[in-house]
Amino acid sequence: MKQKLSVLFSLMVLVSLVLAACGGGAPAATEEAAPEAPAATEAPTEPMADFEGKSLTSECVAPQIIQSVVATGQYEVTFSLCQPDPAFTSKIAFSVYGIYPEEWIEATAGEEGRTSEGLENPIGTGPYVVSEWNRGESITFTANPNYWGDAPEAETLVFRWSSESASRLLELQSGTVDGIDNVGPADFDVVRGDSNLSLNERQALNVFYLAMTNTFAPFDNQDVRQAIAKGIDRQRIVDTFYPAGSEPASHFTPCAIPNGCAGDEWYEFDVEAAREQLAAAGFPDGFSTKIFYRDVVRGYLPQVSNVAQDIQAQLKENLNIDAEIVVMESGAFIEESTAGRLDGFYLLGWGADYPHITNFLDFHFGAANPQFGVQSPTYYEPMVQGAQIADPAEAEPFYVEANNAIREFVPMIPVAHGGSGTAYLADVTNQQASPLGNEAFYVMDPGGRDVFIWMQNAEPISLFCADETDGESLRACEQVVEALFAYEINGTAVVPALATACVPNADLTEYVCTLREGVTFHDGSTFDANDVVATFTMGLDASSPLHKGNTSAWEYYDYLWGLMNK
Amino acid sequence: MAYVDTNIAQLDAEGISSKSVSLWQITWRRLFRRRSAVVGMIILVFLILIALTAQWLAPYAFDEVLIGKENVKAREHPCIHLLGCSQDRPQHFAGIDGNVRDQFSRLLYGARLSLMVGLSTVSFAVIIGTTLGALAGFFGGWWDNIIMRFMDVLLAFPSLLLAIAIVTVLGPGLINALIAIGIVSIPAYARVMRASVLTVREMEYISATRALGGSNMQILFQRILPNALTPLIVQGTLGIASAILDAAALSFLGLGAQPPTPEWGSMLGAERNQVFTAPHLVFYPGFMIMLTVLSFNLIGDGLRDALDPRLAHSS
Repeated sequence: MKQKLSVLFSLMVLVSLVLAACGGGAPAATEEAAPEAPAATEAPTEPMADFEGKSLTSECVAPQIIQSVVATGQYEVTFSLCQPDPAFTSKIAFSVYGIYPEEWIEATAGEEGRTSEGLENPIGTGPYVVSEWNRGESITFTANPNYWGDAPEAETLVFRWSSESASRLLELQSGTVDGIDNVGPADFDVVRGDSNLSLNERQALNVFYLAMTNTFAPFDNQDVRQAIAKGIDRQRIVDTFYPAGSEPASHFTPCAIPNGCAGDEWYEFDVEAAREQLAAAGFPDGFSTKIFYRDVVRGYLPQVSNVAQDIQAQLKENLNIDAEIVVMESGAFIEESTAGRLDGFYLLGWGADYPHITNFLDFHFGAANPQFGVQSPTYYEPMVQGAQIADPAEAEPFYVEANNAIREFVPMIPVAHGGSGTAYLADVTNQQASPLGNEAFYVMDPGGRDVFIWMQNAEPISLFCADETDGESLRACEQVVEALFAYEINGTAVVPALATACVPNADLTEYVCTLREGVTFHDGSTFDANDVVATFTMGLDASSPLHKGNTSAWEYYDYLWGLMNK
Repeated sequence: MAYVDTNIAQLDAEGISSKSVSLWQITWRRLFRRRSAVVGMIILVFLILIALTAQWLAPYAFDEVLIGKENVKAREHPCIHLLGCSQDRPQHFAGIDGNVRDQFSRLLYGARLSLMVGLSTVSFAVIIGTTLGALAGFFGGWWDNIIMRFMDVLLAFPSLLLAIAIVTVLGPGLINALIAIGIVSIPAYARVMRASVLTVREMEYISATRALGGSNMQILFQRILPNALTPLIVQGTLGIASAILDAAALSFLGLGAQPPTPEWGSMLGAERNQVFTAPHLVFYPGFMIMLTVLSFNLIGDGLRDALDPRLAHSS
């Protein structure tokens, strides 16, 4: 009896093993089938004789900027604006506004958000095509054989990441990667001293600021804020914790940006004056507060914890302010700080998205931004006026007024413009350290090797960058998707990309863009004006069924153009 | 390990010859005969001295920033005049840290924290764990079931992960880290205590006390606990070592002591990216952690052998 039972039992085990093996095979089959799914949408849009242009239009509701996007020809798109925008081409070149094929946009707009196919396998016109994203490990791109520009030098491009600068450098030194981002400040000399490596310093188009939310006491007192501004030795912070190429911030916006440095320089470090002013404001013995930060390295803040501790020490020593350090999780920190809910100091910064003063001032000091508490009309009113003037010289008086008012009101203390750097193996050609953080890898030749391996700080969040803000994600998308314009390689000047030109009318409220002909997307479809309209419908029109993203916050579409039909 | 046996044989001889010697005196003597335990005790005494006299020994305050006061740069290597460092440079035994503070002073102050962390978490865990274990062992039945099953649940998590989860809920900070480590260490003591109580409870002298009309509390605290302490002492000493390691790990991850507190784990974590450019900033805190943990482990091992009656009679 026992024997029979055991035979029966082993039979059952055998049968279940066989079943499990068959069951395991099933998902594999569907996985293989998955990549073929987009093929169904690959119906190439042949240039038709009678082109039917699409359009996106809406009523102007402040603070909306784009009123309509109309395909006025197969290769012509007209943007009508609600207000003059001299920075239009500079903004439209930002990679977030990359153009996707119309059919792909429709096919990947899921019920709740963009489908995982849409988030991980973007179809663009760029020099590289995403071939595999091994989550947690690497992203592999292969060269686009039909690229309209120069053919990519390396057949394969791989993105890897590590949050530790020491391990990035170690990988580069051992030759397992060809280039790394954000060399640690202490490692600059190590890279310089190694003949196998070469260092590229990145221009400091960013700002690190010490913020205070003026809806919380004692930061509601302008004298307190001014006293703190005078009582912090910013030169000492830059000298001790920043790499070469960094400088104390004379203004919020870096001087390399037109009108960035208009107006008076920031306060000199003056302990006596600071103490007197703080005492006069009613705090002769200082006060207790907190310093919030996230332990995340960015070009504007290369040594987060050290800078926080130094500010803590300076506040204590110079002004007798006791500040407790509170390290927060990155997402929670951004959410709380940008909503103006942190009742102490916080350490944050900003890297340029596009090289225009509005990218710095209007984002931070706009009337509706609560991150510093209540904003003052003394600066946001001239800012709005300045933003409507194309000629920097003509706009200067408004920016002098705005910058001086910011200095007077002290919504935050601009501390430093931080230099950072990339490092490559010495045999890599066309090395870059883009001031906007958008290195173009297709022009770099990794010493004749087939594969170019790049190592950055972090893994991209998704590869659907129309709805991302994270720089690590944007860099990956920029290899795949292109916008109407682009920034010159390793620079900030705006150059034509998918559009050959955008011509404005006299009062800068209408831009007619001529598109490049003969460009094909990675899926074989032809690029035309309707793809541009579809892309902007997806990004701007909150009522459209295509308006589905990763988090569906569409922050850059909202912040630079204002969403329609919200 | 032959010499151990001979030592124990000698001790036993002493124990038999002098009848007035108590268990504790025998234990001390056995402990002092173990060379590794003596080394552990020397290190520990040294560390305790450092901790007690940190403010006099340390040339600088732990949070004193030397920018503008001395001509030193961030992460400068150690400068010891005796070892040939130029006399006109300021002396810093363990170099300068990333915030231009004297690393040596911070290391000295760190001894206070680490010892405090070890002792306080273990005391916390011992008090709660012993009470729970004693109740479970003494009363048995559903008390035993509820308490010990709960302890099993706690033991089912890897201790560091559970501590991280607790700190995540409570918020980062040294006190919260101590509570977290204390909580995850409770089950070990509860188990040891319960096992001891189960053994002692059946002894005849307990029955005698009960027959004389002793209350449960009297029996538990006056008769059982003192006789069940031995394994707890060993467990506690070894527990201090692992508590210090756990606290250092939490601080390394940024969940324990917050800057500028000179906690060795957080000092190590803060400079982990400078391991090649400024190895002294990683080496010294790591070495201090190793030294402290080693001392408690050596003493714990020694105590275990010294207190083990089977080892004593086996020779």
